[in-house]
Amino acid sequence: MDEEVPSEPAVVTRHHWVVRVTHWVSAVAIVVMVGSGLRIFNAYPAFARKGETFCCWPWHGTPAPDWLTFGGWLAGARNWHFAMMWVLVAAGLVYLGFIYLHGEWRDLVPRRGDPRDAWEMVRFYLFARKEHPRQGKHNALQKLAYFAMPIVAAVTVLSGIAIWKPVSLGWLAALFGGYVWARYWHFLSMLAIVALALGHVFMVIATDPYSLRSMITGKYDERLCPEARNARPFYHLLPRWARRDTAGAGAGPDAGAAGVPPRLQS
Amino acid sequence: MSDKDRDTDRDIERPQGTRAAARGPARLDERRDVIPGAIGRRSLLRGGALWLSTGLSSSALSALLAACNSRGPDGAEPLLRFAERKNEGVERWLLRHTALDRTSSRARAAGAAFPKYFVSDTVPVWDAATRGTWALEVAGLVRRPLRLTLDDLMKLRSVTQRVNHYCVEGWTAVATWTGVRVSELARLAGVLPDAQYVDFQSFDEGYHESWDLQSATHPQTLVAYGMDGAMLGPGHGAPARLHSPVKLGYKNTKYLTRVAFLPERNGGYWSDQGYEWYAGV
Repeated sequence: MDEEVPSEPAVVTRHHWVVRVTHWVSAVAIVVMVGSGLRIFNAYPAFARKGETFCCWPWHGTPAPDWLTFGGWLAGARNWHFAMMWVLVAAGLVYLGFIYLHGEWRDLVPRRGDPRDAWEMVRFYLFARKEHPRQGKHNALQKLAYFAMPIVAAVTVLSGIAIWKPVSLGWLAALFGGYVWARYWHFLSMLAIVALALGHVFMVIATDPYSLRSMITGKYDERLCPEARNARPFYHLLPRWARRDTAGAGAGPDAGAAGVPPRLQS
Repeated sequence: MSDKDRDTDRDIERPQGTRAAARGPARLDERRDVIPGAIGRRSLLRGGALWLSTGLSSSALSALLAACNSRGPDGAEPLLRFAERKNEGVERWLLRHTALDRTSSRARAAGAAFPKYFVSDTVPVWDAATRGTWALEVAGLVRRPLRLTLDDLMKLRSVTQRVNHYCVEGWTAVATWTGVRVSELARLAGVLPDAQYVDFQSFDEGYHESWDLQSATHPQTLVAYGMDGAMLGPGHGAPARLHSPVKLGYKNTKYLTRVAFLPERNGGYWSDQGYEWYAGV
């Protein structure tokens, strides 16, 4: 029992301040970019060239709901979009440059075992596996999501530049299949970013709310990590020792398993 | 005034309280006061985050949601203007007279689907009975001011080009335009070295937009009098209009009457309302 209530907190510094600052700057910038982008989209909520039909968008003419938009009107939204794009690109480049120079990229770039580990995570979340798979800083599904984010973002930025300057940078627009298709890829990659971001926020709330602290102060108590809690979405939000006190309320399939996680690299 | 304004069913969005709003709100101009937080926050709470939700996340979320469908904080205005000026620098740096708009051979001409925007209440038509013969004035910082009737204009060296029309709203339309390059008019009039800007003025309620000289003299910037093999129709700016793929539609003055070479920029109908002045493509 004693080893399950460690007297020394296993608090590590998890996120460098550069990562934390670029994370929150990007979060705000993405919200503004998506909102203003939808306001711009609503001025012509379709993709077809005039006089043509567009194969791959069944909701021709359907605007995004007003409450999702930002900027108030077309020109206002454009002004925000073309200002905030620099903030987002700068934050993204600083982040990528930092994790390259500082080594954090190793926690994010997929490795050979990751597909297998990701599958194990899926099995765990579906209750097909009792114990949380062993993980490093992130689990394999997380790694995939965080690795995908900059790639999807790069597609969004490049297709965005293509529809901003389809004549001056005609070669870039041509790379995406011309203006109409570049606009389409810009929209789809935006949806992918939104999906990744919503999934991320959901998982933070549902499986690892303690990680919010690590993205603000940088500190993370490893006794509270999902692996130590054997946490699935909305399962085992409290640490093992706290659950033990509530007379079986938290006794899951893992009851009685060793509670102390291995120390993680910060 | 290309896409400057009204289609049969739609406007480019105007800021609230302008002429267009008085005329009845355009569909896209409607701004309802919604309470976005109510739905978003509640469903999020219901979804989970039961004990955490009282903390930082909900206040951050409501702050974000409260900003939705707003113009954002007023204090941001100088920053947005600053960004617009910097963007203009980038766009000018990117502009090349050798970078030409190309249309895919598979792209269909818009034809009758080409929107017809204008700012008057009715389609502006040049009335020779009251206004006399239409003529295009080329003036300002030039050695030889010109006054060209439509016949004069059509006798000048013409260009026919199939290009895209890029509207600020996000749509594009392909058409084949026939007209005289603005660079040709500049050559004929003998533009003085001090001229850095060009103002394109209209008989459509005084509509105008000023351009940087480099974009105005781009080889694809035309004073067009023909469209898709016919003379320009009243809906598209007859007798002549500016057309170029290197600027957004609203910079392309329809119902053109005057081209003035200027030492300073002179704003424009839409840029004075908040749309970017440069608006390069």
